[in-house]
Amino acid sequence: MATAAGAQELLYQPGEDPRFNWQSYEDFAATHDLQGQSVTISGPWTAEDEVTFRRTFEYFEAATGARVDYAGSDSFEQQIVIDVNSGSPPDIAVFPQPGLARQLAGQGRLTPLADDTADWLRENYAAGDSWVKLVTFAGPDGQEAVYGFPYKIDVKSLVFYSPENFKALGYEIPRTMEALKALTERMADDGVTPWCIALGSGSATGWPATDWVEDLMLRTQPPEVYDQWVAHEIPFDDPRVVEAVNEFGWFAKTDRFVDGGAGGVGWIDHRDSPQGLFSIPPRCMMMHQASFIGSFFPTGTEFGADVDFFYMPPFETKDLGDPVLGAGTTFTIAHDTPVAEAFLEFLRTPIAHEIWMSQTGFLTPLTTANLDAYGDPTLRGMGEILVNATTFRFDASDLMPGAIGAGAFWTAMVDFVAGQSAEDATGTIEATWEALGR
Amino acid sequence: MENIAGKNVSLRWLLNIAVLVLVLLWTIPTIGLLVSSFRDREQLQTSGWWTALTASEQRWAARTGLPDTAEENGGTWVLSGNVFGDDAAGGEIIAFGTSPVDPSAFAAGDTAPMAVGELTVQADGSYELTAPQPFSEPQVVQGDTATDAPPERGLRIFLTSTQPPDFTTGNYGTVLSADGMGRAFLNTLTVAIPATVIPILIAAYAAYALSWMAFPGRSLLIAAVVGLLVVPLQLSLIPLLQLHNAVGLGRGYIGVWLAHTGFGLPLAIYLLRNYMVGLPREVIESARVDGATDFEIFRKIILPLCLPALAAFGIFQFLWTWNDLLVAKVFLGTSNSEMVMTGRIVELLGSRGNNWELLTAAAFISMIVPLIVFFSLQRYFVRGLLAGSVKGG
Amino acid sequence: MTQILFALLTIVIGVGGCLAYFYLANMVLDRVLPPRRGRPENLRRSSRIRPWIFLAPAIVLLGVYLVYPLFASVWLSLSRDGEFTGLANYIWMVQDPKFRESLFNNVLWLIFVPTLSTLVGLVAAQLTDSIKWGTIAKSLIFMPMAISFVGAAVIWKFIYEFRAGDQTQIGLLNAVVTSLGGEPQAWLTLPIVNTFFLMIIMVWMQAGFAMVLLSAALRGIPDETIEAAILDGASPWKVFWRIQVPQIYGTIAVVWTTITIMVLKIFDIVFAITNGQWGTQVLANLMYDWSFRAGDFNRGATIAIVIMVAVLPIMIWNIRNAQKEED
Repeated sequence: MATAAGAQELLYQPGEDPRFNWQSYEDFAATHDLQGQSVTISGPWTAEDEVTFRRTFEYFEAATGARVDYAGSDSFEQQIVIDVNSGSPPDIAVFPQPGLARQLAGQGRLTPLADDTADWLRENYAAGDSWVKLVTFAGPDGQEAVYGFPYKIDVKSLVFYSPENFKALGYEIPRTMEALKALTERMADDGVTPWCIALGSGSATGWPATDWVEDLMLRTQPPEVYDQWVAHEIPFDDPRVVEAVNEFGWFAKTDRFVDGGAGGVGWIDHRDSPQGLFSIPPRCMMMHQASFIGSFFPTGTEFGADVDFFYMPPFETKDLGDPVLGAGTTFTIAHDTPVAEAFLEFLRTPIAHEIWMSQTGFLTPLTTANLDAYGDPTLRGMGEILVNATTFRFDASDLMPGAIGAGAFWTAMVDFVAGQSAEDATGTIEATWEALGR
Repeated sequence: MENIAGKNVSLRWLLNIAVLVLVLLWTIPTIGLLVSSFRDREQLQTSGWWTALTASEQRWAARTGLPDTAEENGGTWVLSGNVFGDDAAGGEIIAFGTSPVDPSAFAAGDTAPMAVGELTVQADGSYELTAPQPFSEPQVVQGDTATDAPPERGLRIFLTSTQPPDFTTGNYGTVLSADGMGRAFLNTLTVAIPATVIPILIAAYAAYALSWMAFPGRSLLIAAVVGLLVVPLQLSLIPLLQLHNAVGLGRGYIGVWLAHTGFGLPLAIYLLRNYMVGLPREVIESARVDGATDFEIFRKIILPLCLPALAAFGIFQFLWTWNDLLVAKVFLGTSNSEMVMTGRIVELLGSRGNNWELLTAAAFISMIVPLIVFFSLQRYFVRGLLAGSVKGG
Repeated sequence: MTQILFALLTIVIGVGGCLAYFYLANMVLDRVLPPRRGRPENLRRSSRIRPWIFLAPAIVLLGVYLVYPLFASVWLSLSRDGEFTGLANYIWMVQDPKFRESLFNNVLWLIFVPTLSTLVGLVAAQLTDSIKWGTIAKSLIFMPMAISFVGAAVIWKFIYEFRAGDQTQIGLLNAVVTSLGGEPQAWLTLPIVNTFFLMIIMVWMQAGFAMVLLSAALRGIPDETIEAAILDGASPWKVFWRIQVPQIYGTIAVVWTTITIMVLKIFDIVFAITNGQWGTQVLANLMYDWSFRAGDFNRGATIAIVIMVAVLPIMIWNIRNAQKEED
């Protein structure tokens, strides 16, 4: 239904809201006519994210006349491996983790993007260089090229809390990690549970722990060490990594610090866990999570009033600046068609970002996008963190090989929380990683 | 078949009780699901399903009216209203509190001191907050990035109330009205029926050949069939999909049927052959002597005798194809028009795995058809019961 | 409406095509070699060809859908990125602690689930056959078979669910435990114990299957045999274990074998409920992990080969039985 008539159903009529860069929409529409053609997109978004994505690509449909077939899957990673290996790939694959995209690019399953993509990212994305690094993969011939386009970013260095509960009990926002730890102790002494930490996530159980460890890694070691860790230039059971894991253990393995006790951490589903902030009496006061967790809050939750967030603070004694951990989805072309290429061009237009910014769960490092387009102040606050980070690093588990970042790391963290020592848990991961190349 | 217990009354009682215990053990989990599917999300999260019929205690928070709606009455400012709002069937307040960590500190009817004044909540939900000065707006602690202007909202009152038992069909409504559920239902049928019938047909012929026809390599074939029972399906997916794409089948119903048939055949042949071997040799020999071909024997004698076994396997294969998600996802594709019901349900849960109330209803909806099939095929089990023979063990 | 018509049409084409093949193939054979009396050589020839007509579709499908992937897997397990690497994958495998854990768990599954399912099925078949409301009871016990693993995972969540501390337990098991004064536990995170809790789910789902098959076999026993035994004054207990059970050894073996093979391939329950965490990993799920999560089909295939090799003894035993019948 991507015709001029379809424009009736658009979220905002082109030209009607001054927050949006309608010029970029008009320019794109003027230069692309793909009437009657279509593009298939596979991605990880279902439910609410799927709805917001659809509302966004409807502008592409309206501008070009092409049709977009989106298929979202909860087990996208497994689905895409099956699809590309069997010779029936979608035109565009949206990877939640660049690690798998790198692997498939190396197998020659993906098409490099337009030559100017790297320059465009450096110019238009904040911390552009780290983005380019993230999506530059070696092809089957070892030739490096940009294969991915990062779009829809999540910030992970966030702690969510209920401002009203903080006020009722007289707690202050901690500005340093030392203060955060002191606050944790104090809450436990007061008889309230400080943290909701939940690793359950169906077949991906364990991943929330990796965000904790990565965030603590960035707060205990300089970013160079973090990069070496990601690239496996230092072993996974390096004492510096073990230290970060033990920092996480201090929070997660102390019974009185976590909802459900240390035993509950591995079991509780991270999608149920946010309820703890809002239950009566509250089952926890704080939750370390990525920006997307907002979609799991109870319906009607008001950001800024019922729930708010603060930046996961750095150690005062370490002097490592203000590191921000993030992640994001990467658009790649798995089957090259003119429409697929046009769609990736569309993602460069400010309007493609602003439309989704105005809805939920979308952050962008695009500097030319209007911050006023953000649908709510909270989202805007996160967006500002993203555009202003001093050190920005990607989710390590997303960059590691799939067998580690989406396998051994998860499982080992579940075992660690269940009682294994940090040395043993990281040792297991290291053994798996060692065995990968052989 | 009530010959075992004979005339022994106490044994008969014992039998009935034993079966009853077994049935209870086997049905309690499902009953739990059924009951849960009629409860709303809040109830599911806070109380066990076995308490569904009793009044439940709930803890929740209400807000007073906005501070600027307080009325002055001789130097006292009063905020009043009802915590249940306009909900008449709200229940009964048994306790309330002013702090989130001590939400039931006061019994209904008591007066609780608050930072700004005094609060009284009655059992019927009516509250009164009085203070000697106008209410200043509650201050929200400012996070680094929080909004600058605190929202206009009332003060929180924490309540414990008893709720009468309450059932809803809303979960079913949500699941059934979900986009594309009807379509998915048809897709599932389109997959499941041929994927059940075709393997039965093919397996019945093969099983007959392996039981009653003499040809070289027979026992080797039988062994191969048993061996193939263990090929894990997950591993076959990629080579087979490559093959489908190579021969131009692509993704579609034919591919799914073939895949289900291929994966179901070993078990079908194995079970049916085992049943056929047990049939009386004399019947078949005498038909052969009369000059009937194997095809006629198979059609006129074997098939009718094998009905119970065919029905049994048919049920299993149908259940398997009906409940399957993996094969359908791989061989049929995942776009909305091709989605089968299991896929649709998983989608419906979406990234929100915490919607248990929808899961319970969805699980039940997907069970209905297999159960109907099972009950309607049951009579075939009863038929042809005397088909077996006395074979010395 | 068009969708319904389309569905009906595809169903008719699919099933009809299959039927047409058997009829036409047999018709052709009967035309070419008419099985008339007085032409014994025709009968001989046609009976040499006919088995293959009966078997052809099965052999083709088995070959394409199971044998070919099997060989593809063997090759995958002996190579890496298309290069032959010999036993390297197997050497990695035996050194991998997760593999050893999976193997141990699979052995546990193999010991308990087939035995328990068959036993429960046998007892249920016999008991339900000898009471008035047996059919209803049978249907209720069979019902779990009709539930998809997504459904089963939901059902058992309401049994095993754990709520920390003083929260109201919404899982039945913990509710029972706390009402008896015990401490609630996150059952599925307790090593070893959790594997047994997963096994219970499998037994719950498979006992109905065993019951239906065994019940059909039990009813196949001629009444005279049993009545004769009863007239001889044998107790029901004796009749059951001494006369009825030996009569259906064949079916018991089939049921046990079938469930054993299902257990070897056990994947869904573990995948849906624990995904192999907390020490519940099993071979099929490990294989799925390596293949589709780590994208390493060579290692996935290697683990799959182990599953197949594990079944060899059962295969050999079945072949022996088949050969005994031949004699």
